[in-house]
Amino acid sequence: MGTRALRIRSFIWTAAIVAPACLFGAAAKAQQPICSAWLIESSRFMNVPFGSFMPDRAFVPGSTKPESNIPSVDLPVNIGVIKCGNELILYDTGWKQQEYLKMTGSEHWAPLPDQLKALGFNAADVTKVVIGHAHWDHAGQLSDLPNAVLYVQREELKAIEWALNYPEPHIRAVNSDPGGCNRTPACGYMPLTVEEVYGKVLKGKAVIVDGEMEILPGVRIHPAFRAHTAGSQLLEVPTAIGKLVFGSDAFSSYEAIRDWMTANVQQTDTVQQFLAYEKCYKITGGYNNCVAAHEPLSYTDKYPITKNSWVALNGGRMAEITLAPGEKSRKR
Amino acid sequence: MLGGYAIQTIGMPGSRSLLLAGVVVALAATIGAAWLHEVRPRSVVKPAAQTVSTPAEQPQPRALTTDEERFATALWAVHREATRSAVAMSFAGIAYHTEDRDARALAQRIEPLARFFHNAELRVRTMNSPPSLSRTHEKYIDAMALYANAAAEMLKFTEDGDAQRLDAAHRLDVRASEDMLLVGEVLWPGQYKPH
Repeated sequence: MGTRALRIRSFIWTAAIVAPACLFGAAAKAQQPICSAWLIESSRFMNVPFGSFMPDRAFVPGSTKPESNIPSVDLPVNIGVIKCGNELILYDTGWKQQEYLKMTGSEHWAPLPDQLKALGFNAADVTKVVIGHAHWDHAGQLSDLPNAVLYVQREELKAIEWALNYPEPHIRAVNSDPGGCNRTPACGYMPLTVEEVYGKVLKGKAVIVDGEMEILPGVRIHPAFRAHTAGSQLLEVPTAIGKLVFGSDAFSSYEAIRDWMTANVQQTDTVQQFLAYEKCYKITGGYNNCVAAHEPLSYTDKYPITKNSWVALNGGRMAEITLAPGEKSRKR
Repeated sequence: MLGGYAIQTIGMPGSRSLLLAGVVVALAATIGAAWLHEVRPRSVVKPAAQTVSTPAEQPQPRALTTDEERFATALWAVHREATRSAVAMSFAGIAYHTEDRDARALAQRIEPLARFFHNAELRVRTMNSPPSLSRTHEKYIDAMALYANAAAEMLKFTEDGDAQRLDAAHRLDVRASEDMLLVGEVLWPGQYKPH
């Protein structure tokens, strides 16, 4: 009887500890904000050879295989707009350097403040900007968001500076050979973009992140180091359709995540890119809620999460991904 | 309230009904947590088909003449290092603010960049450019001068600690980089690729 009583008592204690923990955990989860999310196309890179974007999809003349018979694709440059309560968060900021338009054969660019206005937001109301990485087509226009706090990984900054000071010029190159530096560690970080990042630091509006960080309840930065660049980072966002994970160029292509193919290999460790894909599968329960930066199928029903889309400024497209309860549609 | 009640029952041995209540609460909480976990929508999607992009007509930049090409090649020797040095100047500022705010370390980073931009301005000024590129040439000289002035402002900051100098230097940097981009658009239109 004594032993039995002891067992019962220990069971009671265990139940007493587990039950409140479960209840409090569930309550905490219930208190997480449900965010709304939109996607806007900063611009579109036109006629990019498919094989340069996804090596496994390289064009083979005469091939009838679906993975080999597409010569070129148009790549959107996507920005995530996330509203959690009173907080307005951007994931990536596209680019504003109009001069690049001719250099890259881009189309459909419009200023980010104008695009936000088309969604009914004010650029001054953006409170946080998380950049997936600091390449020029993802970290521009920061100076147009005067009140936003920038979140960038320390690893991203450290790696660029390391490369800049490396003695071998082919490694320290910053776009030093036209079309030839796509793989060098500092390539893609041009002066004007880095000055925008520095501008945020100078104004005391930058948070240098070391690894994982929760920036709002349930809104969490995850490191994805070397999944595209040295300090790439993902953003987990709780929504009414489950968790979303924004991936910038660690998730360049939705199809690549679905089919486990590497995409947009720059300063990329392809194993780390796959681990970033896996992170999205684990967080969201699949690949459908992984938000890609350059997916050619964006804004179509072939990339389901972006299918609720419309054409906005200068031919650029927007999509309403999900709305929080009570949030009105901003689709025009 | 239910959880609070369950907690209050702990420590009352011999009460089977309260024990049962505790067990029920624990099970209910576990089921509740599992429900919250499982009820959210899961991603299930069929593979999508790919569409073929049809090449559109793109306006191509005008090809450079032989003289223009020669100038572009000569200027590239400066430009390749100017680009790196401009980025390095921003990083010097970032490092100062995000690391230990060591003015001496900042000065050590900026001094060689100041020398580089000063010399680059002089070097570019002495280059011969074809008349068709005279404005482009001037703009590049301006860019080097702006960078040199920015570096000078940053060095003054390391001496007097006046933070406004960093703001001024940053504004000069931005102007210089915009000028450099405008030159690049004419001379090296392939410099920046999709990333």
